[in-house]
Amino acid sequence: MEGTSQKLKKPLMKMSTHEAIWGYVFLSPWILGMIFFIGGPIIASLILAFCRWDLITPPEFIGLDNFIKIVGDPKFWKSLYNTFYYTIFAVPIGIVGSIIVALLMNQKWKSVRLLRTIYYLPSVTAGVASAIIWMWLFNPDFGLINYFMGKIGIKGPLWLASEEWSKPALIIMSLWGVGGNMIIYLAGLQGISRQLYEAAEIDGASIWEKFWNITLPMLSPVIFFNLIMSIVWSFQIFTQVYVMTQGQGGPADSTLVLVLYIYQKAFKFHQMGYASALAWVLFVIILIATLIQFRFSKWVYYEGELKK
Amino acid sequence: MISSTSKNTGFWASKKRQEKIISLILFIIAWAGAFIFVVPLVWMITTSLKTPTEIFTIPPKWIPVSYIQLDYETKLIAKASGKIQISKGEEGSRILDIIKDGKIASSVVVPAVGSLLIKNKQTVKAGEVVAELPTTGITKIIKNNDGTLILKIVSKAGFTIQEYNLPRGTKLKVMEGEQVRVGQQLATILPQWRNYIEAWAPKALNETFNTYLLNTCIITFFAILGVVLSSTFVAYGFARFRFPFRDPLFLLMISTMMIPVQVTMIPTFILFKYLGWIDTFAPLIVPTFFGGGAFNIFLVRQFFMTIPYELDDAAKIDGCNYFQILYIILLPLVKPALITIAIFGFVYNWNDFLNPLIYLNSSSKYTLALGLQTFTTMYGSYYHLMMAASTIVLLPVLIIFFLGQRYFIEGVATSGLKG
Repeated sequence: MEGTSQKLKKPLMKMSTHEAIWGYVFLSPWILGMIFFIGGPIIASLILAFCRWDLITPPEFIGLDNFIKIVGDPKFWKSLYNTFYYTIFAVPIGIVGSIIVALLMNQKWKSVRLLRTIYYLPSVTAGVASAIIWMWLFNPDFGLINYFMGKIGIKGPLWLASEEWSKPALIIMSLWGVGGNMIIYLAGLQGISRQLYEAAEIDGASIWEKFWNITLPMLSPVIFFNLIMSIVWSFQIFTQVYVMTQGQGGPADSTLVLVLYIYQKAFKFHQMGYASALAWVLFVIILIATLIQFRFSKWVYYEGELKK
Repeated sequence: MISSTSKNTGFWASKKRQEKIISLILFIIAWAGAFIFVVPLVWMITTSLKTPTEIFTIPPKWIPVSYIQLDYETKLIAKASGKIQISKGEEGSRILDIIKDGKIASSVVVPAVGSLLIKNKQTVKAGEVVAELPTTGITKIIKNNDGTLILKIVSKAGFTIQEYNLPRGTKLKVMEGEQVRVGQQLATILPQWRNYIEAWAPKALNETFNTYLLNTCIITFFAILGVVLSSTFVAYGFARFRFPFRDPLFLLMISTMMIPVQVTMIPTFILFKYLGWIDTFAPLIVPTFFGGGAFNIFLVRQFFMTIPYELDDAAKIDGCNYFQILYIILLPLVKPALITIAIFGFVYNWNDFLNPLIYLNSSSKYTLALGLQTFTTMYGSYYHLMMAASTIVLLPVLIIFFLGQRYFIEGVATSGLKG
């Protein structure tokens, strides 16, 4: 984005209309997509949230009824709780995990390329297949996880078959995908100037001090971006849960996450209005979460600010 | 050697040595972690090559090969003290009940091939050998209709000592009529490559993976085409033209990344329903031609920004129009970015589950992800087949990943997500 600001220093009046028209021509696919697949649907979904519609009879305006129903819907609160539970554990553990892996992958070993590949690999296999692999790993009787836990003397839980352990199982599974974020952090780490470390070394800084005073602050914009996106994504967890529970969110709704509930309401029960209202609740929660993060983003260090 | 203890502090004081040791520890941690990361995939492949019985073993078998050994107790032992009472059991076997205080304390079943070492009403002590089984036998091989074999070990009198159902892909180590003894290896069960054939054309489903693969390839191909074409177009617009509201529009585009798909999902579904596109590939392909996704536009735009304007200007002087500048001059230069978004597009569409789930109803239209999910609902406990099917689905992704590794890693790095 830095590049654009320089270009705009020319006053708007001086822009040639010819150039402007061509600019919009090239933007047109996106503008149309924005209208038909993002902006339009968002407005439509907001209107639908105040309607009752089963796709057969015409939609009927019912005011705030959907939202009043949501407040009194125990399944909604359960799904919200499950989604929060997952996010609160999976996001911080995932971020710390991917930073640790990125720090390891930033070493100068000969095998570091191979290591990066291994750590990154699971994040491209995300989807139905990896959910199936983990169902097998979490098998209470013959799964590898309980076998290894048994080896160190712990009797493994029932995992996906247990109300208590189904969410931790999803969180553990999510850790397998830290490689995707690891690459982002690695790129961030490699962008940190060596001179900073050299200067700190002259001052006799320890490894820990260097990490705390150089690496972490320099990495903080990446962490900030990643934190926001990780929360947005983890609120949208769906495929793993759908595959592992055959679309049910069981046992006893313990893995019924918000998106699965929206999916069920919309495409199983055809309550399009109610599902839209739920989707808007999800949207507003994500928006609030993002705004809160921006509000409390003082910890983020921007190198550019200092240079001014 | 002598000085090593006295110089202990000196050993640690050396910064170079300290760093070397820390580096070594980190190296070990990194590899241990990598090992854990790779286990699920290795386990998938191992399981996919096993027989159903090999799956459910504790401890787990890492190599999908097992050996069949003639192995049974040749000496039957009384488990309690008391008086023996012999009665006849099924198929020529005899049951030895050990009576103590008028109750049956323990029983031993001696199969027909066994010979008794005690007589009726005789008193035995716990631990005493009451019957013996032959230590040798003769092999008998029976062919089943489905091509699998049954290996029987029979005694000289013709009684069956042991019977093995051998799956396909078993290498016999004995011949028909050969004499074998306890402890001898009879056969090796080799990796079950047949599982892949079975998973590819599952009997319980209407479709084979041919259908799913073809559908996925069609969707993925056109979706990648849409993403690459339209995001190049839009990125070029954002990177090279000055027009009112450009920067607010760019910000708007970036912020759409934060909109959960669920918000737009329902009205978009209704839109496609009115267009009559449900149960066609159109909902999965057409939207990609309209922008190609904020992340992709962003990535290509960042790439365009690194190319000097002088190139454009020179081309303009030579009489190129904007399309020619884009396709002749700039496109070759942003090729790495395009390959990157193509690869990301491949992985995304190949793995996508939610959209096909919503838009595709009939199984002849299913993608691999949907087909695989249906497969698991039908073959829930056939882990060997589920793992074979998963391997089939993952293999192309893994191949693309290894071929295009560089682009994944550079793609994220060049997108400069800091901005």
